Amino acid sequence: MPREKAYHRGRRENRDHREDWERARSFVIPSPCFMRSRIQRFGAAILFLFLALPLSAHVGSPDVFYEGNAGPYRLFVTVRVPQVIPGVAEIQIRSESKDVRAIRVVPMRLAGPGSNLPPTPDLAAQSKDDPQFFIAGLWLMESGALQVRMLVDGPQGQGEVSVPVPTSAQRTLPMPKSLTVLLLALMLLLAVGAVFIVGAIVREGNLDSGEVPSDARNLRARRAMLVTAVLVAVLLFLGKAWWGVNAADFQRRVDFFKPPAAALKLVDGRRLEIRVERPDKRAELTDRRSPAYLRLSEVIPDHGHLMHLFLIRLPELNAMWHLHPDSTAGEAFALDLPDLPAGRYQVFADVVDPRGYPWTLVGTIELLQIVAGKPLAGDDSTWSGAPLAAAPAADSTNSPLPDGGHIVWQRPPGDLKAGVPLEFTFAVQDKDGRPAQDMEPYMGMAGHAEFVRSDMSVFAHVHPAGSVSMAALELAQGGMADAAASAQGPMSMAMSMPMTEVGPVSPEVRFPYGFPQPGEYRLFVQIKRAGRIETGVFDAHVSQ
Amino acid sequence: MQTRIAAQVSAATDSVPWYVWSCLLAVISSVVGGAWDISWHESIGRDSFWTTPHILIQLCGIVSGLSCGYLILSTTFQKNSPVRAHSISMWGFRGPMGAFLCAWGGVCMITSAPFDDWWHSAYGLDVKILSPPHVLLALGMTGIRFGTVVMIVSEMNRAVGEYRARLEHLLFFAFIFLFGMTIGIAQEYTFRFFMHGATFYFVAALIAPILLAAIAAATQHPWAATITTAMYTATHLAFTWILPLFPAEPKLGPVYQKITHLIPPDFPLLLIVPAIVFDLVRRRIGGWNRWAQAGALGTAFLASFIAVQWPFADFLMSPASRNWIFATGDIPYFAGPRSPWMRNVFLSTEPTVTAFWVRMGIALVAAAIMTELGARWGDWMRRVRR
Repeated sequence: MPREKAYHRGRRENRDHREDWERARSFVIPSPCFMRSRIQRFGAAILFLFLALPLSAHVGSPDVFYEGNAGPYRLFVTVRVPQVIPGVAEIQIRSESKDVRAIRVVPMRLAGPGSNLPPTPDLAAQSKDDPQFFIAGLWLMESGALQVRMLVDGPQGQGEVSVPVPTSAQRTLPMPKSLTVLLLALMLLLAVGAVFIVGAIVREGNLDSGEVPSDARNLRARRAMLVTAVLVAVLLFLGKAWWGVNAADFQRRVDFFKPPAAALKLVDGRRLEIRVERPDKRAELTDRRSPAYLRLSEVIPDHGHLMHLFLIRLPELNAMWHLHPDSTAGEAFALDLPDLPAGRYQVFADVVDPRGYPWTLVGTIELLQIVAGKPLAGDDSTWSGAPLAAAPAADSTNSPLPDGGHIVWQRPPGDLKAGVPLEFTFAVQDKDGRPAQDMEPYMGMAGHAEFVRSDMSVFAHVHPAGSVSMAALELAQGGMADAAASAQGPMSMAMSMPMTEVGPVSPEVRFPYGFPQPGEYRLFVQIKRAGRIETGVFDAHVSQ
Repeated sequence: MQTRIAAQVSAATDSVPWYVWSCLLAVISSVVGGAWDISWHESIGRDSFWTTPHILIQLCGIVSGLSCGYLILSTTFQKNSPVRAHSISMWGFRGPMGAFLCAWGGVCMITSAPFDDWWHSAYGLDVKILSPPHVLLALGMTGIRFGTVVMIVSEMNRAVGEYRARLEHLLFFAFIFLFGMTIGIAQEYTFRFFMHGATFYFVAALIAPILLAAIAAATQHPWAATITTAMYTATHLAFTWILPLFPAEPKLGPVYQKITHLIPPDFPLLLIVPAIVFDLVRRRIGGWNRWAQAGALGTAFLASFIAVQWPFADFLMSPASRNWIFATGDIPYFAGPRSPWMRNVFLSTEPTVTAFWVRMGIALVAAAIMTELGARWGDWMRRVRR
């Protein structure tokens, strides 16, 4: 497989570059940065009724997309996380500049122990056909909040950037049929062989040269074979049971990182409380020792808020609220809901744990109409409009705004394909069709985008920096800053990342992302203009 | 009787057969590969199936499988093969008993390769020794090592004089690899932080007395247990002291420990002391009945092992042991700050004091039973002719 070959070739070439890496690490110039992202999930909810519905991991969007600067070089990074951990992640890097000579990648913990001792970096293989494209296979040894550091080398010097990568085992890969047949045949050969070898040993093993086994020996050999056959059968049975224990242990690790179900409770008809659903007390005790154990009292701020809550009206996705509950006592978050029509709502609640691992609590809730609810304030926002059409969704590229302006999706020609990294570009226009001049940062960024699949199996909260969590990104950059602070010698290397948007915000907003699977999607694009938060909505059909 | 004498005379004039050397070579390959591989995982991390240690391990299966396969085929189809007279037959094939065992072990090892590769892709790369494909691999390696031992005892039991003495030395040499294999399989239970738990001594009672008793019975040498254990300890120490001489750094992450050289295996268990006691006791109780001997030897083994290993474990936990001799300062790259390797504290393997003493009692019984089983195994090996 060419990719595999490139991966191993990269490893070979890379063995002598440790010194380069150490040197480069010591030249990092710290720079604040921000961005945020989400990799999301599913779950459950309570009202007066309560429905728990855990779905696929990371709300169906495990891969990481990132766009940012490594010193003077702008990179678009895609990390295809492995299905099992430890496993090999595929790192795809596209450089905006044509003169990047080499990119090295290295995995580390995002924060704390394991975040300051890099292993030998891997050299990403540069495409011969497309010199701006690099690819590397990188072993990720642990589940949890990791980072992949990239060291870029080119004529403008060296640059470094760190991309947070939340990893988790997602499923158990089945055994191919051909391998099953082969292993069964070999097992049979070994089992029967063992029985017959024992028979031959008992029958002839102690005979002198040329001596013929007696009837008594033959009988003893048959008995020994019978006993051995029983022993082999017992051993195979125990082996299978042991295999089952291993598989169950692995599944437990997979389950640790599944999206936690949200226990939702409506108090006094309008106050929504959000907790992590814990169905099994014993599991809770076990999970407490797990790195994946989530405590809502310990989550860290992510671009200004401890939790980002999304309510999406089901089944037509014709209304959406982006709210920010407050932390309350008892491992919970709560907020007074704004005015809401009665109906069923999908809930996605984004938080980031202290290790930098992003979680999305997922649930559904039935609500009666709320009138005279709490008015939206601060960064809270809402949108309502046309329903998402049934499959195939009518592709839309122009979304009107309340003031007569528009957000226009500069969609690339052709079909949208699943699994393809894209840069989603949106132009914000005023009512005269000119680029909007009144753009402002919304929670520190030019925009926020939520990608939602019609069946709620995919939900991704994306920013101009990509799908990475901004809180995680801050932790990663903190680690790089620490490395730089402890460095000795001249600082010939630059690390720059866009932090809070300062100055005028461009009317063109870009989001790096890739649809994880085919289907009908609705995109909510949120920007801020002249103090107003506005949401553009686009529908997309994504094919295989 | 005439046949036996003829065979002995013939053996006395023969040199060690080529297939014994090739199987020993295969075993050594897996021993070096195995120790190197564990060290590789702890220092560098696996990045491909085709690492040198993996190749050395698989070479064991291939070399022994091919050489024993050839031996079996040539014995089967060459009617005048010198091996034919002392061969066994199975499924129409003929060959020395050890050759069948080695061939079986080779198939086991080869089977473990695709199984292990799938295991990694299904459940992730493992950093533990005891997994089903690894146990299959270990079973194969054990089969080859046992087959090699059987080849040697078969030849030795038909030999006399100086040739027999040479074969006996070879048997001691081959037996240390069986010793090392067994201890290696159990090493997840014999880390230093388990050494103040009864489980550790229970595991030691399961694995060591059977081997000591077997080699003693097979050779009838007065210092058989001591010689084997001393050779095993020396081999283990060689790995402990030589491997760190090679530079290494992790290729996988996250990395929790700064690694500059290959991480050596732990300092060997002090089995040499109970082995000496074992030899001293057995020469004094030769007239006792079998189970009484087993009880006495098992007790002597366990008591002397606890007497030396328990305080030695305290030393291994102390800063004084963190040097190249005892190597307790060499920590795998993946061991985090809360791992027992870093904390240098003993882990309790029994929930209560009662459970501790119950398991210690079980260990004592196990030591006696395994001693008797080992003696029977050794007696059987002394009778092997083919």
